[in-house]
Parts: sequence; structure tokens; C-alpha cells
Amino acid sequence: MLNDLQLNNILEDFDIAYWKINLLTKEITWSEHFEALVGTPPSDESLFEYFMNNVLHKDYRYDYRVAFENLTSGSEDLNQEIRLKLSSDKYRWFECRNLKSKDSNNTETAVLLFVNIHQSKRDQYTIEENFFYYRETAEMTTTGGWYIDVSTHSIYWDDVTKKILDCPKDFNPDYEKRLQFYAPEHQEQANSIFEKCEKYGIPFKTELKMVTLYGREFWVQTTGKPVYNEEQQIVGIRGVLQNIDDNKSNELNLQNSLDIIAAQNSRLFNFAHVVSHNLRSHSSNLSLVVQLLNEAKNPQDKIDLIDNVEDISENLDIAITRLNDMVAHQNLLKKERSIVPFKQSLDIVISSASSLINRESAKIIAEFKALKEISYIPEYLESILLNLITNAIRYKQPGRVPVIFIQTYSVNDQNFMEISDNGIGIDLDQYGDKMFGMYKTFHRNPDAKGIGLFITKNQVETMGGSISVTSTVNIGTTFKIKF
Amino acid sequence: MGQKMELACIIDDDKIYVNLVRKIIEIKKLSENLLIFKNGLEALEYFKIILTNMTEEKLPDIIFLDLNMPVMDGWEFLGEFIKIKNNFDKKITLYVVSSSIDPRDLERAKSFNLVTDYLIKPIELKKFEQMFDRVA
Repeated sequence: MLNDLQLNNILEDFDIAYWKINLLTKEITWSEHFEALVGTPPSDESLFEYFMNNVLHKDYRYDYRVAFENLTSGSEDLNQEIRLKLSSDKYRWFECRNLKSKDSNNTETAVLLFVNIHQSKRDQYTIEENFFYYRETAEMTTTGGWYIDVSTHSIYWDDVTKKILDCPKDFNPDYEKRLQFYAPEHQEQANSIFEKCEKYGIPFKTELKMVTLYGREFWVQTTGKPVYNEEQQIVGIRGVLQNIDDNKSNELNLQNSLDIIAAQNSRLFNFAHVVSHNLRSHSSNLSLVVQLLNEAKNPQDKIDLIDNVEDISENLDIAITRLNDMVAHQNLLKKERSIVPFKQSLDIVISSASSLINRESAKIIAEFKALKEISYIPEYLESILLNLITNAIRYKQPGRVPVIFIQTYSVNDQNFMEISDNGIGIDLDQYGDKMFGMYKTFHRNPDAKGIGLFITKNQVETMGGSISVTSTVNIGTTFKIKF
Repeated sequence: MGQKMELACIIDDDKIYVNLVRKIIEIKKLSENLLIFKNGLEALEYFKIILTNMTEEKLPDIIFLDLNMPVMDGWEFLGEFIKIKNNFDKKITLYVVSSSIDPRDLERAKSFNLVTDYLIKPIELKKFEQMFDRVA
């Protein structure tokens, strides 16, 4: 058996102090180590009262007194976590409990152990604090955690992940249906990165489009890393996923704006060259005339040349008017969008093109049931309709009554208008890329000015849409506008 | 001045310009005859007919080709002409003549071997004479 001294040494080594309590006299003796910890008590005061008033933190005084009484009356064990003021004036955590005597006859003495648990208590706080930060960060950045057990093929999602995916807290994700939470176009990619991580341990960090339980699509950034067991086999994949829909849509908007700016820039460049070309062709003619005038020998030659000057000035005037028209179209931009019924715009266009329509007995069939109106600049919509309708009639198949079919509809919240004709069509292999350029004409038609489709495309794009064309020679052409 | 050129050809849709060049050629007696086409397609059809009839005396010695034209522009004409040109024995000098000062056009024109030079309108009378002189 260990004697008291040996026991003392062992207890001190473990930083454990103790009280001995005589249950009959209620007399308390402190171990040397306890005294060393909290300091020497004054000799004129009861040790217990001194302890209660000067050593024990006030928050625990009431409970401790009750527990101590219960212990000394022999009815209950004592086991509390308390804070004691040490001789250094600092509070430290201790676990205080009585030594349970195996000898039930020994009812005269109780031993109270004081075990320093400050470090583990602090660790516990640190863990709680870290957990708090983790949870707050996860909430704030909507980042959820997930785990896939690859041996049992079960999925674990934390609360934030469930929230991100619109799932209730008691939702249990089904491994077999895991891909349904990815947008159809990203399912293959998702499957492949998970498979690579599971088979070869390749970690991933990627942006994907996911789908919530209610079918709402959104962008996430997700990371995943393999989890190995002691035999270095992959037993799971662990990762986080973050909702980055706001960032992603901002990014896409930015890209979109950049595209629009780039497109406008290229149109401006094109426009600048058209302006330069058109003005230069007249000025160079003028310069030729001047050179010839200088060379001209007889008056009749000079008079003939003067006639040319008149023509040049007239052509220059026309060119400038046309350029003005183009600029005027751009200026329409300053006008505001409003809700425009398609029927209303079409009626205006039909009445302004009535002479052409009647002359060719063109038939215009409109189908606006699926999409009756649109938020647009009315003048733009009219100009687009007018250009495409008059184009369709001008390039009709000889001998065939021109029929124009106009249809509006919407797919996945995206609005469309299609204008089809039964005209002569265009060889798109040959002309496709130039279709919408300035001063491009494809038919031997003296009326063709080659500016209409350029303006139409310009208008559609300025409003944030796009225009495409399909055509078959001798069958007809369809223009499709994505608003 | 050497001997007079037999046949010159202008492919251009600008009537005034064509008229003025015609005058220059007349006044300066630069060429016996002059072919005029309003666009690339008309010119191309002419060359194709010559090819089938093998009447090379009707081939021009020099071509002035505009770029911006309706129906078939100068670029498309070049693309087509390059395919049939080697069937002719006669040497044909071709100048691109345009009002465009766009460097991309200049670059593109120079990429064609059959283009002798890219000339920006207006062309000075002296330059005209030089070109005809060199060819003839």
C-alpha cells in the first residue's frame, strides 16, 4: 500500500490537490499542494468559510455550499466544476469531487479531490469559439458542408447545405438521386469529378450550376477532397459548397456588358470606315474633275466636266443624308422602353407600308397569342418589323404571292419573334457572314441599299438581343429575333 | 510613251468615277478600248464566257477593281477570278482601287498575289499614265 507521503507525491505530480474532511467534527485539512495553489489561509478563520469567501469564485458559492452539506451529511457525492482564485490572483478551472471509498465502513473521513482542468476547459472554449466562427462564416457566406461515404454510398449534408438546396432539415439525400441536384447540362461534369475523386483521389474545386429541391437553378462553387482510412484506401469524399449565384450572375452580366461594348465598338469602327469611304469616294471624284479641268483644252470639255461636279454634289448630299439617318437611328436609344403590344406595332407598320403590300398583294399572317406584348422601344420594334417585312416583299419569288408569317413566343422566360417568308431565299453559305453588314446587297435589285439589315441587327443588339437567319434558296427565309 | 494599250477594264459601281476615268483614258489616249462592269459578277460572267470561247484577244491588259460594290464585291470577285485566271495565257495586271483607307483592306488586298497594288482614290492623272505605261 502507498503511504500518505507517496500518495501525496503522486497526486501532486498530477496537479491534484485534496481536502480531508472529518465527517464527525466537520474539520477540514488542506493538502500541502492545495495550500501551495491557493495560498496559506489565516489561522483565525474557519478554513471552509475562508475558502468560500476568498478562494471560490462567487458564481459557484451557493451551489457549492449545498453540495458540500449534502456530502458531509453523507447523502450525496460531490462533483462540480468550479473556478478557484490561486495565490497568483488568477482564476483557474478545477473539477472538484469526492473520493469514493470502497470501504463502506470508513464513514469517518471524506476526501475531496481538486483536479486542475483549466487546459481542457480552455480547449473546450476554443473549440466552441471556433465552431461559432465556422457556423457564422458558413451562414454568412452560405457555405455548406457535405460528406459522401463511398463504401455505403450514403450522403451527409449539414444544415447550411440543406438550406442552400431548399431542403428541409430532416431531408435525407438519396445517393441514387444525387445528380438531380445538378443542372442537366452539368450532370455529366459533376458525375465525372466525383468519380475521379472516388477512384483516384483527385481533389476538385469547380463552379457548377445546381438545382434546388424546388427546381430553382443557381451557381455554386464546390470543393471536394478524398478521405483515406488507415490503410490509405479512399473511404469518402468531403467538401464544401458555396452559393455564388450573385457573384456568378454579376460576372455573367459583366461579360454581357463587355460583349455589348465590344459589339458596339466594332459597329462604331465599321461606321467610321463607312463614313470615311462614302465621303472619300465623292471627294476623290471631285479631285479627279479638278485635275481634268486643268488638263482640258477646249471650252466644251470644261462644260461637260462641270456637269460632273453637279452630280457629285448631289451624290454627296444623298450620302450625308443617309449617314444622318443612321445616326438618327442610334439616337432613338435615348427613348424609353415601354410595354408594346406586337399587334399595335404591326398595324402601324402595315399601314405605313400599305402601298408596297397592296401592290404585291402580300399576305401577312400574325400569331401573337403566345406572347402578346414586350417591353421595348416602340420605334425600334416598328423599324425592325418594317425592315423585315419590306425585305420579304422586295425579295419575293417572282410569280409567287408573298406570304409573311410572324410569330412570337417565349421559351424558358426568353422571348422570341420569328418572321418567315416564301421569297427567293439567300445562299447563306455564300453570304451568311455578311448578311447584316453595311452596304451588302445580295440580289440584283436596283432598290437594294444594303442598309436595312444592318440597322435591324443594330437595333436588336442595342436592346440586348440577337438576330439569326435561316434560309433556303427558292423556298424562303426566316429571321429569328431573341429579345 | 510606248505603244498604246489594247484593252483596259474597270469594275466599279460609281458611274461618275467611271466616266471620269473614261475621259482620262480618252484624253491621254491610254487605251484603244475600255471594258466597264458595274459589279464583280458582271465582270466574272464576261471572263467565264471568254474562257469557254477561248477568244483571248478580248482579255484586258489591265483591270481596275473597286472593292465596295453591290451584288458581288471586289473581294468575292478576287476569290472567283483567282480560280480561272491561270487558264489565260495573257498576263493581266490587276489594281485594286478603293476609297477605303481601312488598313485591314490594304492588308487583305496585298495578300492576293494577282493584285499588283492597292490604290486609294483619287488617283492622280500622272499615276494613271505611269500604270498604263508600265503595262504597255
